[in-house]
Amino acid sequence: MATLEITGLRKTFGGVVALAGVDVTIRSEEILGVIGPNGSGKTTLFNTVCGVYRPTGGTIHWNGVDIAGKPAYLIGRLGLGRTFQQAMSFPSLTVRENVQIAIEHGSRREDGAGPRWSSPEELLEFVGLEAFAGEVTSVMPFGNLRRLGIAVALGARPAQLLLDEPAAGLNEGESVQLVHLLRRAHELGVGICIIDHHVGLMAELCARLVVLHFGNKIADGPVEEVLNDPKVIEVYLGGEE
Amino acid sequence: MTNKRPPMVPVKNSAWPSPAALAMATLVVIGVFAFSWLNPGYRALSFAVTTGVTAIVLYGMAIPFGQAGIMSLGYAGLMGFGAYTAAILSRDFGLNMWEAMPFSALVAALCAGLFGLPSLRISGHHFAITTYVMCELLRIALINGGKFTGAASGLDLPPMGTVLGVKLDKLSNAYMLVAGFMFISMLAAYCVANSRYGRTLRSIRENEQLSRSIGVNTNMYKVGAFMLSGLFAGVGGDLQAYNFRHISPDLYGGATSLYFALMVMLGGPRTAFGPLAGAIIVTFLPEVMRIDPIDSRIAYGLALIAVVMLIPGGVIAAVGRSYQWVMRTLRGPHANAGSADPRSARV
Repeated sequence: MATLEITGLRKTFGGVVALAGVDVTIRSEEILGVIGPNGSGKTTLFNTVCGVYRPTGGTIHWNGVDIAGKPAYLIGRLGLGRTFQQAMSFPSLTVRENVQIAIEHGSRREDGAGPRWSSPEELLEFVGLEAFAGEVTSVMPFGNLRRLGIAVALGARPAQLLLDEPAAGLNEGESVQLVHLLRRAHELGVGICIIDHHVGLMAELCARLVVLHFGNKIADGPVEEVLNDPKVIEVYLGGEE
Repeated sequence: MTNKRPPMVPVKNSAWPSPAALAMATLVVIGVFAFSWLNPGYRALSFAVTTGVTAIVLYGMAIPFGQAGIMSLGYAGLMGFGAYTAAILSRDFGLNMWEAMPFSALVAALCAGLFGLPSLRISGHHFAITTYVMCELLRIALINGGKFTGAASGLDLPPMGTVLGVKLDKLSNAYMLVAGFMFISMLAAYCVANSRYGRTLRSIRENEQLSRSIGVNTNMYKVGAFMLSGLFAGVGGDLQAYNFRHISPDLYGGATSLYFALMVMLGGPRTAFGPLAGAIIVTFLPEVMRIDPIDSRIAYGLALIAVVMLIPGGVIAAVGRSYQWVMRTLRGPHANAGSADPRSARV
């Protein structure tokens, strides 16, 4: 099983400290949730791990390999897939072409990690978008676009998937479908680490929660334990005057 | 997931063109080769050769522009590298057109890679202006190159010679040769666009960040696309140099690059016949119709504005869409024939 080990991770933007020395270990056999108020550093954590930002300090090891500061494409090739806060696709290409491009690049990896897709159709059927294969993604409904983002990430055969607010903007029915999809992806051996504000969804999906606040980790453990942690309750509901 | 419904548009999985496109391609090939047998006269044939050479460069330009979405205004300069390489190799080492061609292509490809390097840091019109400046710098360097580049007066070249006993100095034979190279360029550009490499370039055009996240080394692909297009420009430069038999720096300045960009945009960079149509509209038609140069420049400006506002995919893409609309209308409201994705129409 793959392991992402983050130790003392710091990221500053000028005088703003986005991550103030975060330690998290993410194992692909579990579904991990990362929660925290706006501005707590959740997306910065993903962006720093995935090579969008160069860390100011700390280490990031993926299966023992130091990936801190490595370019995003190299991290993607090592089996760390991701989705983005804003639903992303290749907008003027068809749904099929979107996943085909991801599969073509994922199939080059020879480390055996991540699910191998025999065709774009197989992957589209897995995420439930087979009926939309010929559609241009720029005209797709938002819920389908979210699922397409996950399909593109899965196409690249990740061993670990980092999902940045995949349920944002989805209605209740779509959120239920999303939980079902992520569970099935996890059953294929893909590690899931998910950021979301929807605590109910996180409690249903995740085995473990990490809570960030102003760039610091304030809680890390089983869902029940974390949600009853006084520090977490204070962050979300405010402390007593 | 049970979100199922019938596909709105049939999925086009094959890179093979449709029967209608194949029929059109056959007609174009026959039409282009038959042109010289119609005895069009020396002037028209001469401009047709120039148009063919230009189209070769445009097919190269269509790869980074049409597929990766990166507009460069340095292609006249790259063509110049090819032409001057041919001329210098002829003068100093006695190489003929065929022997010099691989060197012209290689030099232009390497220089195209250098021209493309700024695209790793800047994009859009910033990059276009940078390449325009690089093209102008090349022109100035050629003017100040002394005996090596022939300075402002340029360099002379020998005749094209013969191939398989056919005298290429005869204009109709030179036309056939250039037409052959032009169709090879068209086919090569089509194959690139419909390959895994072409799809990856389109992913970079559409969303570079997402492309990187799935493991695409976007920098390498972008520079690679420029180098690939440089091969076309180098071959075009070699053919042009031997066709004109005299080259000078003014042929390869920024203004020529602007015309190349105009041609690609008018014709359409993502369609098989777009670059050829652009070259014919701008290089061939105004000359054979003897339109006043000032009038034709005004027309180009108006045409470019019209294309950008009304048919951003270019003239050929608009013709294709019109054809599909007519076919749909004839077949009835439930027919959805045609490309699955008109906006990502491939070369």
